[in-house]
Amino acid sequence: MKNKHNKNTLPGFNLSLGYAVLYLSLIVLIPLSATFFKAFTLSWADFWQAVASPRVVASYKLTFGASLIGALINVVFGLLTAWVLTRYHFFGKKFVDAFVDFPFALPTAVAGIALSAIYSTNGWIGSWLEPFGIHVAYTPLGVVVALTFIGLPFVVRTVQPVLEDLGAEVEEAAASLGANRWQVFYKIILPAIWPALITGFALAFARAVGEYGSVIFIAGNMPMVSEITPLIIITKLEQYDYAGATAVAAVMLVISFILLFAINGFQWWSNRRFGNAR
Amino acid sequence: MAFSGGQIDALVMLDKKEDLMSVTISQYTKYTDKVASNRAISEAAWVRYTLIGLTLLFLSLFLFIPLAAVFTEALRKGAQTYFAAIVEPDALSAIKLTLIVAGIAVPMNLVFGVAAAWAIAKFEFRGKSFLTTLIDLPFAVSPVVAGLIYVLMFGLQGWFGGWLSDHDFKIVFAIPGIVLATTFVTFPFVARELIPLMQAQGKEEEEAALVLGASGWQMFWRVTLPNIKWGLLYGVILCNARAMGEFGAVSVVSGHIRGLTNTLPLHVEILYNEYNYAAAFAVASLLALLALLTLALKSYVEWQAAKNAADIEKEIKE
Amino acid sequence: MSIEIKNIKRNFGSFSALNGVSLNIPTGELVALLGPSGCGKTTLLRIIAGLETPDSGSIHFQGEDATDIAVRERGVGFVFQHYALFRHMTIFENVAFGLRVRPKHTRPNETEIKRRVHELLNLVQLNWLADRYPPQLSGGQRQRIALARALAVEPKVLLLDEPFGALDAKVRKDLRRWLRRLHDELHITSVFVTHDQEEALEVADRIVVMNQGVVEQIGSPQEVYDNPASPFVYQFLGNVNLFHSRVHAGFAKIGDIELELDEHQQIQDSPALAYVRPHDIEILRYPDGTSIQAKISYIHAVGPIVHLELKRLDTNAHVEVELTRERFDSLKLNEGETVFLRPHNLRVFLQN
Repeated sequence: MKNKHNKNTLPGFNLSLGYAVLYLSLIVLIPLSATFFKAFTLSWADFWQAVASPRVVASYKLTFGASLIGALINVVFGLLTAWVLTRYHFFGKKFVDAFVDFPFALPTAVAGIALSAIYSTNGWIGSWLEPFGIHVAYTPLGVVVALTFIGLPFVVRTVQPVLEDLGAEVEEAAASLGANRWQVFYKIILPAIWPALITGFALAFARAVGEYGSVIFIAGNMPMVSEITPLIIITKLEQYDYAGATAVAAVMLVISFILLFAINGFQWWSNRRFGNAR
Repeated sequence: MAFSGGQIDALVMLDKKEDLMSVTISQYTKYTDKVASNRAISEAAWVRYTLIGLTLLFLSLFLFIPLAAVFTEALRKGAQTYFAAIVEPDALSAIKLTLIVAGIAVPMNLVFGVAAAWAIAKFEFRGKSFLTTLIDLPFAVSPVVAGLIYVLMFGLQGWFGGWLSDHDFKIVFAIPGIVLATTFVTFPFVARELIPLMQAQGKEEEEAALVLGASGWQMFWRVTLPNIKWGLLYGVILCNARAMGEFGAVSVVSGHIRGLTNTLPLHVEILYNEYNYAAAFAVASLLALLALLTLALKSYVEWQAAKNAADIEKEIKE
Repeated sequence: MSIEIKNIKRNFGSFSALNGVSLNIPTGELVALLGPSGCGKTTLLRIIAGLETPDSGSIHFQGEDATDIAVRERGVGFVFQHYALFRHMTIFENVAFGLRVRPKHTRPNETEIKRRVHELLNLVQLNWLADRYPPQLSGGQRQRIALARALAVEPKVLLLDEPFGALDAKVRKDLRRWLRRLHDELHITSVFVTHDQEEALEVADRIVVMNQGVVEQIGSPQEVYDNPASPFVYQFLGNVNLFHSRVHAGFAKIGDIELELDEHQQIQDSPALAYVRPHDIEILRYPDGTSIQAKISYIHAVGPIVHLELKRLDTNAHVEVELTRERFDSLKLNEGETVFLRPHNLRVFLQN
């Protein structure tokens, strides 16, 4: 990373880049690499035992399954929210718009206890669902609720700017050519926003997979049933099983990296292809 | 020749082009309320109201009701219990620790963010986009893993664990570990905010300052910093909210020592697990207030930045 | 202060922006760097300012090597294309900036700064805007403020990057006359970059025509317009007709016209291009032996100059001619008529 072809006269390049890389290495890169070094000290059999035992596999299923459902719910309702916020006028719209970021701002532990309070059998919503035999708190359904909550802003915030920048003219053109409203939506609008939808979905999913704070209060944390993977890591740590915890963490890290690079790659691709996805 | 003519000025004036681009985008007919009232491209009233209703129902279920629940539960046993829970010594020490941790982590990431954004936005170098991706890395890592990596580094069985215990210096299960884990999870906030902003602003004003005889620091303090202040503030607000509210990462490295290594979110957890719901929600309500304050500040800064951006667009258009 | 530029080279990656440029700018002159976008003119200007560093070659101010002097110590005034006014500072503070950032021992006191800034604002006739912010000004006003700001540091050299590029046509004309007068008052050695030939011809003492990283011609506006040194300069400055031709043993043949060329005596049957300006073509009713037959396809007769488009009968090539209204009226030309063209000032360049 040398300033070779760039005889820029602005000062501070070496200082700023040097400091940024040093700080990045100390805080992020070196500690992260420690996980892999630690994981490599395990024998293959031990590693496999740690990451593929039935209880851990059940946690993967729950974590990824609930994250997927949560992200899909957010695709539907995130698109709806973004649509309503950009297209319609209603009382308190500005307030609602600002409030969409609430899950980003609210500490996850607070979200966790608040959600478990309202969805427990005697809570505000839980008591309504109780007669129908639907239990949310302390079941996998609770995990879905928590992960939907924390992923909520992603789809809204990626789709919203694209909807705003979408010229009214193309829709008017389509309407003048005889398309009805629904045809305009799925032939004109949807093709323009789907890169943003996918990006929002992937961001919400990636965030949900690693989430801990908001889930553990509402999940019930029963092994094989409602125990998420990050909790497995904590449990192993509390039992001083550092190697096992590291092995599971390494698996999660690899998945996170793949998701991160896939999202970045997709955004790069869609920017080139469409020039409008954020 | 690899480039056709015309590309050289394109290189030199890349920054200006970007400014112009942002103008072109804004010149599109934006989907404002005015456009939405156009009947040809809007929906029937019943469709609109159904969609608005559905949205508000969804947001109520997931946002407004949980927020209301926090305050209701907090005040369920009266104002006296509420305030008692907040002024209790363990709660106070948790507040203090939370402030200390954010007070260290946020400035560290602020300095990093400015340095990284300066290098990335104003200079060309190999590996730039890779570096930008690496800065995002902490957002992709589970908070639990973020805590774990410091345990592996500095814990008793970690790389530096032996050396640290020999010198009687504690990082894990002590404040330095909490600071490190918090720094990790809030790492990208400021940099992410500043990089696109500084790229869009280009280098002309800085160059003008240098031509007029300003030194590097004079240029930075008098020209660069005033131009990025809203973006910087925005990043700091988000960074601070996450730093004060972080739970997973801190939970791994803290050791949960009451009155010593408990931050506010961890204190909420302990109270909750002791079935002391009123106290747990009372402390949680402080964090919820922080979240509301964050949203308010964020909206204010967005409004200010939009006002600034409008000024800049106006400046270029004429 | 005079500027000497010696054999400057500058590459961006594999693209050569400046490929050995040498240039002398005497004290007090107003020089235009003229060329199409991508010709390297802006890069050259930025190198003179110290905003870019050359790969090789040197810059001398008043005989002293300035190549390695940092931009902030060069003492040049630079007016940026988009003005680069500091948008968070008032107009007053923008102009005062260069004085305020001086080291303590050379920094003027507050009264002196005030005096100097107001003097400059008066010079650009915008003193009444001192307390406004840049976004509140029109483009032309910003341009003048940018100039006042550059002059505040009392530069020995004034550099302007496309100074009128971002302005609309009317303001542009007013401003460039104003700049010319200002230069005549101040006599600071000035260099400005432009891609607009009209602007360069009107404002500059001397014009440096650049193309693809090299200097094509240096000369007064008159010289470069009347005696272009290369086909590129011919085509870039003003309208021009191009005739395909062959050169053989000191003669060029264009249609029926034979032209004697002393400089190409040794050339044997080589293809060549002949250039002639539209106002250097005479229209005749009858052939005179050295003329080309053509048919008038279009007449644009608005204003003092009449523009004609014609088609050569021998090659079907398109020819443009400009006549004075007087000449046009006396010839009584109509569209569709066949006439004879007699070019003056033909310049022949060999094709290779």
